[in-house]
Amino acid sequence: MIPRLPLLFAAQARFPAPEFESYTLPKMSLEELASDSVLWRVLLLAVFLAAGTWFFYRLRSRKALLAYSVAGLAVFGFLFASCPCPVGMFQNVAEGLANGSYIQPGVLLLFALPLAVALFAGRVFCGGACPLGAIQELLHWKSVFIPRPLDRILRLISVLLLLIFSVCAIYGIGFPLCYLEPYLPIFLLDFATPFAILSAVFLAAGLFISRPFCRYVCPYGVLLRFFSYFSLLKPQITSHECVNCRLCEQGCPNGAILPPEGTGSTSEHRSGFRRISMLTALIPFALFAGGLFGYFCAPVLSSFHRDVRLVRELDAGIKSEAVEAFESTTTTREELRVRAIKLQNGVLLASTAAGVLFGAVMMAELIAEARRRKEEEVYTIDPSLCFCCGRCYAACPLERKEKHHEK
Amino acid sequence: MTRRDLLRLGFLAVITAPFAALFRKRGETGTGYFWQIDPDKCVQCGKCETECILPQSAVKCVHQYASCGYCLFCSGYYQDKRIEFNTAGENMRCPTDAIIRTYVEDPYFEYKIDEERCIGCGKCVKGCLSFGNGSLFLQVRRDLCKNCNECRIAKACPADAFVRVPADHPYIYRKPPEVKS
Repeated sequence: MIPRLPLLFAAQARFPAPEFESYTLPKMSLEELASDSVLWRVLLLAVFLAAGTWFFYRLRSRKALLAYSVAGLAVFGFLFASCPCPVGMFQNVAEGLANGSYIQPGVLLLFALPLAVALFAGRVFCGGACPLGAIQELLHWKSVFIPRPLDRILRLISVLLLLIFSVCAIYGIGFPLCYLEPYLPIFLLDFATPFAILSAVFLAAGLFISRPFCRYVCPYGVLLRFFSYFSLLKPQITSHECVNCRLCEQGCPNGAILPPEGTGSTSEHRSGFRRISMLTALIPFALFAGGLFGYFCAPVLSSFHRDVRLVRELDAGIKSEAVEAFESTTTTREELRVRAIKLQNGVLLASTAAGVLFGAVMMAELIAEARRRKEEEVYTIDPSLCFCCGRCYAACPLERKEKHHEK
Repeated sequence: MTRRDLLRLGFLAVITAPFAALFRKRGETGTGYFWQIDPDKCVQCGKCETECILPQSAVKCVHQYASCGYCLFCSGYYQDKRIEFNTAGENMRCPTDAIIRTYVEDPYFEYKIDEERCIGCGKCVKGCLSFGNGSLFLQVRRDLCKNCNECRIAKACPADAFVRVPADHPYIYRKPPEVKS
């Protein structure tokens, strides 16, 4: 092995540059950044979101929305390499906000634009402007209906991931979502083994379960769900009088269509009241359990951090590449240890707080589920769950008749 | 909570954001968005060649001519166990023969990286640094890099040499190239 001599040339070169008679030094040819592609991406995203809103609320056509998905997949998935995409940007924003570092305006816009649109028109972004959503939309074959309670429990995973990934981003552990995102290998056509297995699993699941990533994993989807709950435009299956044929409910693979709810009997009222009071009584326990969970997760999270891992390797006397690289720097072991301990304490606090927050969100979801909805006599779309695919427009017989008349 | 309440809250947040920014602590790192290798931290482990998501890594060796010694016996060009100082394959350090050597003046030779062939393994960088001036180093090339939000090489780098740089200074030089008048 070559011994690493201390670098002296900062003071003087070991071999001073010769003085040539008739030779000029060639220029270093390093290409500058042609243009900041992030801002172009924001512009294109705005165009896509406007088009998607128009397709979904005005044209009300499944075919147009399918084309929207295809275009989104082609442009944001393959044409532009899929990074940076709005889905992962919450990590950059969380890191920037917490550490006071500079957030690129393009990054901030990518993060905020779909949320702003969700406030006005629901999750149009998920429908096709998101390459991950688009690939799941197109690669769906037969729908397996997931029972509502299971669906509501499974989607808590995405809330948990949002909290964990934010903690990871804030404390410099990394951006795990971007690292593990299951569709990235497809967009980059890079099928290295551990990552490609994950994408194969998600693609296979997506054939039967509609949008497994969007519904149960996507942390950005949690934010979109929250904002689209307050959406100004509410999607309507048909402008005619609903005949309650149930075709739209059966046609929706995402469980976003809610059946009409009657007044209910007295015994139902009573059991519902009991259920809610029981859940309310459980809140302190849920918060405590969440905090405990976060507390025990913290060492696992911080063990992925470079400094913590390095300290562990130094203590165990492992001669890894990282240890060798560390020993050639001027940082002392004590400095590293102090840094690592500070980080571990920070992660412990943040992770416990995130756990408590998760407990609160979990209870809020459960209580919201147990509560009676507003009385409706027709089938309605829940804007926070609707991915704007337009299947219900195609399934509704009244809507079809109207389309036929227009022609 | 109604829609109006949420909008009011959001408006309030936007109004207070600049004031909150005044009291925010200033961070030292993370001033840019683009990945780059800090050549002073790099230990030439060879992971840049293999960990990049691209079929051929976006990391390539660059040559800073201004700090090169133009040595006859270049330790980045010849490998340690060379048999003779000639251009036969067994004497070369570069596994893909990507270093082009041209004669300049009597004991001096110019070394140029053939970027089509360079795979970013960093062997020549290690060689140059062990004996020479360290004028060869690895850089992420802006025209090749896809700028993944989480760079896989950065994740695997044992020396923590990957940093984020701003768009207007996308490269980190060993020492600013001297301008000779």
